[in-house]
Amino acid sequence: MRISVEINGRACEGDVEPRTLLSDFIRHGAGLTGTKVGCEQGVCGACTVQLDGEPVRSCLMLAVQANGRELRTVEGLAADGELHPLQRAFHEAHALQCGFCTPGFLMSMEGYLREHPDAGEEDLREALAGNLCRCTGYLGIVEAVENAAREMRGEDVEGD
Amino acid sequence: MTGGLVGTPVPRREDERILRGDSCYLDDIDPPGAAHVAFVRSPFAHARIGGIEVPGGLEGVIAVLTAADLEGRVGDLPVQGIEDGRVADEGHPVLARDEVRYSGQPVAAVLAESRALAEDAAELVEVDYEPLDPVLDARVSEVELTHWHRTSGDVEGAFESAAHVVRASHALPRLAPVPMEPRGAIAYYEETDDVLTVWVSAQDTHRQLAGLAKVLDRPEESIHVVVPDVGGAFGSKGVASPETVAVAAAAMVTGLTVKWAEDREENFIASYQGRGVEADVELALDGEGRMLALRARIRADLGGYLIQTTAIPTHTTAMLMCGVYDIQVADVEIAGMRTNKVPTGPYRGAGRPEAAYFVERTVDVAARELGLDPLELRRRNLISELPYETALGWTYDSGDYERCLALAEELVRPERRSDDEFVVGTGFGMYVERAGGMFETAEAELLPGGRFLIRSGSSPHGQGHDTTFAQLAAERLGVGLDDVELRFGDSKEVPRGVGTFASRSVAMGGSAVLQAVDALKEKLRGVEDRQPGIKASARFESDQVFSSGAYGAVVEIERSTGRLRVLRLVAVDDAGTIVNPLLAEGQVIGGSAQGLGQCLVEEAVYDEEGNPTFASFVGYSLLTAAEMPPLTTEFVESPSPLNPLGAKGIGEGGAIGTPAAVANAVADALGGVRVDPPFTADKLWRALREAEG
Repeated sequence: MRISVEINGRACEGDVEPRTLLSDFIRHGAGLTGTKVGCEQGVCGACTVQLDGEPVRSCLMLAVQANGRELRTVEGLAADGELHPLQRAFHEAHALQCGFCTPGFLMSMEGYLREHPDAGEEDLREALAGNLCRCTGYLGIVEAVENAAREMRGEDVEGD
Repeated sequence: MTGGLVGTPVPRREDERILRGDSCYLDDIDPPGAAHVAFVRSPFAHARIGGIEVPGGLEGVIAVLTAADLEGRVGDLPVQGIEDGRVADEGHPVLARDEVRYSGQPVAAVLAESRALAEDAAELVEVDYEPLDPVLDARVSEVELTHWHRTSGDVEGAFESAAHVVRASHALPRLAPVPMEPRGAIAYYEETDDVLTVWVSAQDTHRQLAGLAKVLDRPEESIHVVVPDVGGAFGSKGVASPETVAVAAAAMVTGLTVKWAEDREENFIASYQGRGVEADVELALDGEGRMLALRARIRADLGGYLIQTTAIPTHTTAMLMCGVYDIQVADVEIAGMRTNKVPTGPYRGAGRPEAAYFVERTVDVAARELGLDPLELRRRNLISELPYETALGWTYDSGDYERCLALAEELVRPERRSDDEFVVGTGFGMYVERAGGMFETAEAELLPGGRFLIRSGSSPHGQGHDTTFAQLAAERLGVGLDDVELRFGDSKEVPRGVGTFASRSVAMGGSAVLQAVDALKEKLRGVEDRQPGIKASARFESDQVFSSGAYGAVVEIERSTGRLRVLRLVAVDDAGTIVNPLLAEGQVIGGSAQGLGQCLVEEAVYDEEGNPTFASFVGYSLLTAAEMPPLTTEFVESPSPLNPLGAKGIGEGGAIGTPAAVANAVADALGGVRVDPPFTADKLWRALREAEG
């Protein structure tokens, strides 16, 4: 089946089988391998991308469901090449080790903070519970997201 | 930035590439025209294989390989021995021959035009299984795969003359390592040059190479191993797996590029697991609470075969059974039993968490029986003069155990209370960890523009070698971090090294980097015309070093439900010199999260027929951000005399110290009732009823 999607602002067409997962299309069809696949059952969150602005698990969708819609992946997060506040905050707080889960965390949290710019630590931890990380023990990730949220609200961030 | 780099919390140089989505893990490599592999895996824990039938005309299928196709050209996986121990010759077959010994064992490899088509076809391959009774309990197994026994001093005499003999039996369940990136390999064979190239998601380059050379019976020079970005391993990507060898063999048989990217279900059921050990420990003490002798019988549930490193974690457990205590007499025995489960092997801590758990639980049981404060009993017995040779024969090089314990006590703020709703208790766990050892290599080269290139025989999979090693080299060279470039993971490019496991990278790999840099500086000394390309290499060798630490935990158990909450956790680690405190703390927090997961939720459960119930994140949970308790970390830095850095190891302390501390806190809250992890609500609710009598 022929599908046409916009990924990170670029038109992208491809032939897919009806059963092709969106995650497989993004990675192996469109060649955007920044999105990772960790479980193929929607638990780990590594494959999270944004569909029409909303975070979704790309392993739980078929590629054909994205036909005619807009996708944003981790490759599209740094606007004009400059790192997003979340990306910078992850770096500064050592919120990644092996990095396999990182794109999923970034795409989940970017969507979440747009909807909940004032989220407190408890809310952030609940929101973060949708993504699994086996390396960091999460504390650096919580700190990074709090710092990024502050920066996005225009507040001073400690250490800046 | 030059000078003063060592000891500075430098954020990682590897991050930006990953954050932008430019990382390249195994499954991000898409060789055109590759054949994709799906394995036919045994659905039975134990069965005889009568025959295998491959239907014709399967869509997109290129080949189906079984053991018969590999016969004569592929051996079984090698088995590594242990000093003074007996280890059976029961290496894992690459593909099953006439028997399968665990559910998930690879039986055939289906090569097809896509992974989806390979999976479709794998379901249609007909294997004639004759099910056999599985053995699922190490206690009833009649096949001993490993045996080791060591005594030191007059054991009988010490126990007979003791004022107190304390007995404690404990068990730790099997755990799945669960790196977020599952395993995988891509292989390509170039017939004209007779070179086999294997890209593999692995902890190191050279153990994979050695394993492939051995099993495929090829000279090592004819194999090229490349390790791309690796999405975590925690011990589980150490030695060549049966699947990796099958992929390499398939590439040689078919002449195609062959790719296997494991899915999560395969990773759960077929990647070797950790722990699965129980021990009966007896501790003899005198009237003043001095520990006189220790006796331990360790029983391990090793699984259906021995992978190369299966025997090692239990041996490490045994050798560390005196812990941080001055116990002069010891008698420790291991029985490693065959069961019909996936093999066990190293998982973060690899024998050390087991030792810390058995020893530290026993010390708390002793304190309760003797009516002593657990901290006081520890203080009376801590080793205070180092180096110290243990009764079992290892020499602890450095450490300050009293200081670690004092800090842990101060930071955790012990609490013990009980009301209608909750019981609260505090516990401590101390550990000593063997780290490093063997050798590691590095090569330093002068580049144009006064920059330097370091090639390291070590290999990262999330630890941050690129930053840490650059800190070491740049400080020694008196240049900026950006003037040092690191390369890892390509057997054609880097010197033959060992790899990343046993918390060894900084102590061994870092010391090799320092020595290579020093050798290059020596070569450049007095040279006016410094031509790029001048190189110097180093091979650093040392005995193992011994990190140590003290962990403290305060826990709360809800009376009505048995639900456990860790209120706070304190980690005090002595890993000698810390090169990058930001990354070192990251290792401690990450390791502690795995230790907490083991305490709260993790357990690889097989049902009564030997079927894994943990084949997905539904059957095997990991902790999330919402469940992490407040964690305080602190470092004590007693430098090791065994390497130029004074470094020990920091990669595993969290996974080692946390379960012992939390378990002692749980036992404290329960008034001494003995339960083993995972501390599920159901188990603790029953324990509370027992505690109430």
